[in-house]
Amino acid sequence: MPLIEMINVNRQYGSGRTLVEALHPTNFVLNKGEFVAIIGPSGSGKTTFLTILGLLQSPTQGKIFVNGKDTSKMNSGQRTDLRFNKFGFILQASNLIPFLSVNDQFKVVDKFSRSKRRSRNSAELLRLLDLQNVANNYPSNLSGGERQRAAIARALYNNPEIILADEPTASLDSKRAQQVVSLLAQVAHESQRGVIMITHDTRLLAMTDHVYEMQDGFLRQQK
Amino acid sequence: MFLAIKEILHNKMRYLLVVFTIFLISYMVFFLTSLAVGLARENRTAVDQWDAKTVVISGYANKSLVASTIPQNSYQDYDKGKDVAKLGQVSVVSQLKDSKKKINTNVFGVDWKSFISPKLIDGRLPEKNHEVVVDDALKNDSIKLNSQIKINGSSKYYKVVGITKNNSFFATPVIFTNMDVFRTMKYGSSRTKNISTLVFKNNKKVNATGLEQISIKDLINHIPGYTAQVLVFSFMIAAMVIITFLIIGIFMYIITIQKISLYGVMRAQGIRTARIIESLFYQILILTGIGAGLALLLIGVTQFFLPKTVPFYSDWLAYIVLTLAIMVMALLGGSLSMRRVLKIDPLSAIEGE
Repeated sequence: MPLIEMINVNRQYGSGRTLVEALHPTNFVLNKGEFVAIIGPSGSGKTTFLTILGLLQSPTQGKIFVNGKDTSKMNSGQRTDLRFNKFGFILQASNLIPFLSVNDQFKVVDKFSRSKRRSRNSAELLRLLDLQNVANNYPSNLSGGERQRAAIARALYNNPEIILADEPTASLDSKRAQQVVSLLAQVAHESQRGVIMITHDTRLLAMTDHVYEMQDGFLRQQK
Repeated sequence: MFLAIKEILHNKMRYLLVVFTIFLISYMVFFLTSLAVGLARENRTAVDQWDAKTVVISGYANKSLVASTIPQNSYQDYDKGKDVAKLGQVSVVSQLKDSKKKINTNVFGVDWKSFISPKLIDGRLPEKNHEVVVDDALKNDSIKLNSQIKINGSSKYYKVVGITKNNSFFATPVIFTNMDVFRTMKYGSSRTKNISTLVFKNNKKVNATGLEQISIKDLINHIPGYTAQVLVFSFMIAAMVIITFLIIGIFMYIITIQKISLYGVMRAQGIRTARIIESLFYQILILTGIGAGLALLLIGVTQFFLPKTVPFYSDWLAYIVLTLAIMVMALLGGSLSMRRVLKIDPLSAIEGE
């Protein structure tokens, strides 16, 4: 069973003469252990695609199945819980809470998870992302790269099955970018998760399993 | 709770302002309350001491004790048993011997054996005509046990042989005399057997022409100026409490609006709106709790530094009730922001709106 399956999903904004088809009817499947990259010029609909996939907005038409469950039949509370439990977001704008230190960002997840589950060891994550020395810093006291890595750590912390990353390497130098992407690849391949990454950096595509290109609301598979 | 506390600690200055505002408002509310209760008590403690049910006053007196006079033939039929007491009241000016200072006081003429006879905290009950019992508030004017006082410019002195406390009426302290001394002061002679009122400890009904029976509550409410004074203070206190609602409402609304994008991020991460709202209300509880708590501390300290003549009375039950009222108002104020939080779209986190 695929992690996510999109069937004939499209997204329109406005109506009549102002109608914009941000996403043309699209079919898409993400399986366990797959690392997928989405490239394309800005304004092509990548973010719209990612937000629909992440259940942050509803499609105009079509259905999205997460673990075989039809999300269009859920209410917004159930979708919120699904996001909390299954999704990890790495956002372009930082997904860190400004008044929490890096360590406390993890604590929030522990506090708010309903079911007691073994969260990924935060120390291990901090080491992996080279954040041990700034674990008690607030986001405003982190460098751009550290902040991005902290955001990735936060996204991975609740052991999500699906990781959605919107340009996770945007503020990193190429060495760090390589490290982050190989980490995402490792996460996907070793622990059987699905990772979708929007990126501009074509050098990073080598580590991905599939590459899709988005252009004017059409999604085409490249690899 | 976790989010609420972490955020307050991280933005100390911002939330300190909220605490400080709550502190000032609460302190003002408590201070006004203390004055209101203090002033009200000065009007009535002597009446409260009786622990009685009703009084009978003259029909023309418009329920005002100070205007009532009842002649002997009107009251003698009802003055039976130990649950009934005669009281004479007259407003007088007292003077300590060898002092020029004039002090407004009340004279209460009582039978020393009746149930409205003052409870002493020092000294003894009078045995002779020129012996009196005074309220201990008069010690602020140096009148104490064994003092010699002049009443209404009389040529002879009255000796203080007993001290009582919490005996104040119409905002002036009470001097207790026997009925004869009272009659001489008010009517010029002790042969006139008039009294001001009959006080009933029980619910005995009196129906007589020219007399009116009223409850103690009625009697207090008709002390001139009493109701108006209580009303003014109540309005001020209520207004302050309602202002709390607005101030917290506006403060929290502004802070909430500043955090909309952050809330978007939290929503995108799958943190439920209920958690965010919960955090908002925890914050309000914490901030008002600290503010009102500090105000309570300060009001506790204040009473030690106020001059004794300020009618300040610490009513802790009222403080607690008002603290709760302030908290409820603050929480209601927080609900102004709730609508905004409920409308937060997690999408805004990604699109940076």
